[in-house]
Amino acid sequence: MSRKRIMVLLSSAIVLVALLVTVVYYAHSSLEQEGQATLPSGENNKITLEILNPKVEIASQFEQMVNDYMKEHPHVQINVRTVGGGADDRAELRAMFAYGQGPDIFTNGGYEEARLYRDYLEDLSDQPWVQNAIDMALEPMTLDGKVYGMPVNIEGYGFIYNKDLFKQAGIVELPTTLSELTESASRLKSAGITPFANAYAEKWVLGVHLINIAFAHQDNTDEFIRNLSRGTESIEGNPHFLDLLKLLDVTLEYGNDQPLTFDYNAQVSEFAQGKAAMIQQGNWIQPMLDQITSNMNIGMLPIPINDNPGNDALAVGVPNNWVINKKSSEQKKAEAKLFLNWMVSSEQGKMHLVERLKFIPAFHHIQTDSLGPLADDILRYSYENKTLSWNWYTYPDGVSDYEFGPVMQAYIGDQMTAEQVLQQLQTLWETTNEHQTVDE
Amino acid sequence: MKRLGNQLFFTGPTMIFFSIALLIPFVYGFYLTLMKMATPVSPMEYAGVENYLRAIRDNKFWDSMWLTIKYVGATIVLVNVTGFALAYLVTSGLRKQNFFRTAFFTPNLIGGLVLGYIWQFIFVRSLPTLGEKLGVELFRLGWLGDANLAFWALVIVTVWQSAGYMMIIFIAGLISIPRDVIEASTIDGANSWQRLTRMTIPLMVPAFVITVFLSLKNAFMVYDLNFALTGGGPYDSTKMVSMHVVQKAFIENNYGVGQAEAIILFVIVAVVTGVQVYYSKKMEVSG
Repeated sequence: MSRKRIMVLLSSAIVLVALLVTVVYYAHSSLEQEGQATLPSGENNKITLEILNPKVEIASQFEQMVNDYMKEHPHVQINVRTVGGGADDRAELRAMFAYGQGPDIFTNGGYEEARLYRDYLEDLSDQPWVQNAIDMALEPMTLDGKVYGMPVNIEGYGFIYNKDLFKQAGIVELPTTLSELTESASRLKSAGITPFANAYAEKWVLGVHLINIAFAHQDNTDEFIRNLSRGTESIEGNPHFLDLLKLLDVTLEYGNDQPLTFDYNAQVSEFAQGKAAMIQQGNWIQPMLDQITSNMNIGMLPIPINDNPGNDALAVGVPNNWVINKKSSEQKKAEAKLFLNWMVSSEQGKMHLVERLKFIPAFHHIQTDSLGPLADDILRYSYENKTLSWNWYTYPDGVSDYEFGPVMQAYIGDQMTAEQVLQQLQTLWETTNEHQTVDE
Repeated sequence: MKRLGNQLFFTGPTMIFFSIALLIPFVYGFYLTLMKMATPVSPMEYAGVENYLRAIRDNKFWDSMWLTIKYVGATIVLVNVTGFALAYLVTSGLRKQNFFRTAFFTPNLIGGLVLGYIWQFIFVRSLPTLGEKLGVELFRLGWLGDANLAFWALVIVTVWQSAGYMMIIFIAGLISIPRDVIEASTIDGANSWQRLTRMTIPLMVPAFVITVFLSLKNAFMVYDLNFALTGGGPYDSTKMVSMHVVQKAFIENNYGVGQAEAIILFVIVAVVTGVQVYYSKKMEVSG
C-alpha cells in the first residue's frame, strides 16, 4: 500500500472518530441539560406545547380551538400535529418517543395502554375536572386509584342508518336482532337500495370495532380476556365469535361489491350521498357527513349477532384520553394542565367541544342539545344502560387491527372458514401475548 | 500535513453528512439489536443474540421475504425490459422524441406515496367503472381486493414509476455506442435484430449493471409504494419485508426483533447486489 493511500485512510479514520466523539458528547450533554430543572423564563418567553392529535376528522376544528386558546393566552404557543384515520397515530407516537422526548400532550387509550406508558404519564388526580367526570369515563385511565388522563369524549358505534331510505323500503320496526336485521336488509334490497356499504379494506373496522362486539357479549368480558391471556379460555369454539361471523355474512350478502377495496372515505361518502342504507361506523363521522350532506335524517342501530335479547345495545366507550407527558419540563406541564382544564371548564372551551368538535362530553356539567342524531341515539342508549363495552385496549398490544383485521379480511376473501378464523384469532392472541410477557 | 488538511477540507463535509445520515443510525441500529426493551420507556437490557434468534424463527418475516423476492424477480425483468424498449424507441429517430423522453421520465418525479394513492384510486374506482362500461371482466375486478392481482398491481405501478428512470440510463448507454461498429456490422449484412442482440446489448452491459443494481435494491427495500397502494392488504397478502419490519418494531413494540430483521434484510441485499455487480462486471466488453 502506498504512503498516499495510508494517509487517506488514516485521515478519514481520524475524522470519523472525531465526529462520532463530538456527536456522542453533545448528545450526552444536551440530555443532561434537559434533565436539570428549567429556569423560570421571563414574560416575553413563549412556552411551546406540542400536541399529538389522533383524530384527522376534527383536525381543522381542533386547530380553531387551539387558536382561540392562544389568543386568550398569548404567552403559549401550541403546535398541533395530526395523525390518524387511515394513518396510524400510535405508531407515530412510538416513533416520536423513540427519537426524542415525545409530545407534551398526547392521547392514550387506557387500561393496558396506560400501564404501558405509565412512566410517561403525569398524575392528574388533583385536577378540578376530575370531580365532574362521569365515573365510567375515568375508569380506563385510573391506575391504583390515581387518574392519569382526561377522557376526550364518549363515543359509540353501531350501524348508522338512513331513516329516509328505511321508510322508502317500508321498514317501520327497527331491527334489534340478527333475523330482523336480515329481514330489513332484504326489504331494502328488493326496494332497489344497497343495504350495507362495507369498508372492509380498513383493518380497524373489522379488527377493532366488529370483533369487539363478540368480546363484549361474553358473560364477563374482563374475566374472559384475563383468562385468554392466562391460557384457561379460548376463542376457538366460542359461540359469540361464530355468531359474529354470521352477522358478517349478512353484511356481505347484502353489501357492496368489492368490500375488500372499499375504504373509510368511500364508505362515508357513499352513505352521505344516500347510495347505501347502513354503514358500520360511529358518531365520529357526523362532521364528515355534515360537510357532504347537511341535516341527514339518520340514526344509529345496534349490531346484533344473534336473536338473544342482549343485542339491543350500542358499543359505547371512551375512545381516547388526553395525557400529559411526565418527562416534559415543570413549566410545560403546568401550562398543559391549564389547557386541558380550559377545554372542559371555560365557556369558550365547552362551546368548542360541543358545537365545533361535536364531542359527546364525558362530563356531567357540560350541557348537550346540539350534537346531532347520532349523539342523541348514543346518549339515549347510555341513559337506558343499553351499552356494550369497548375492549380493544385490554388486548395484547397491536393485536386488534394489525393481526385480527387481516384474518377477518381473509374470511371475507374466502381464504378461511369460520373455524379457521377462530383458530387463527386464538393463535394470534397467544403469540402476541407471549412476546409481550417475555419482554416484560 | 498540508495534504492532510486539504483532504479533510474536501472529504470532511461529505463524511459528516454520511455519518449523520447513515453511519451513526446504522451503528445505533445494530446496537439496538443486542438490547431488549419492554416498553418505549423502559431501560434497555443486554439480550445478546436473542433478537436474531427470534427474527430467524419469525415465520411471517420469511413469508414476507419470499414475497419480496418474487416481487424483485418480477420487477427486475419488467423494469429493465420496458426501460430498454423505451430507450430504444426514443433513440431510433422518432419525431418528437424529446417530448417522449420527458413524458416517460415524469412518473419518476412523483413520490412513491403520492403515486401509490393515485394508483389506488385508479385500481379501486376508475378501472372497475371502466370495466363495467366496456364489459371487460379483468378490469371490473377490484384488483387490490385479490391477493394475486394486488401483487401484480404493485409490479405494474413499480414498472410505471421506474422504467422512465432506467430509460435515461439506457439512453446514455445507447448514445455512447460507437457508430462505426454498428455501421460496420450493417455493411457485413447484419439485420436490425442481429445488430441489437449481437452488437448493441453486449456493448451496453455497463448500463445494465447499473440498472439491474438499482432495480434490485429498490425492489428489496420497497415500502412507500407498498404502504400507499395496498397497505399490505388484502389480508396481509402483499406485505413486503420492509413493512413487516416496521410493523414488528413500531406496532408490536418489538424494536430489538424488528431491527434484527432489518439487519438480516441488509445483509441479504448487500450479498445479492454484491454478487450481481461482481459477475456482471465480468461480462463487460472492454472497449
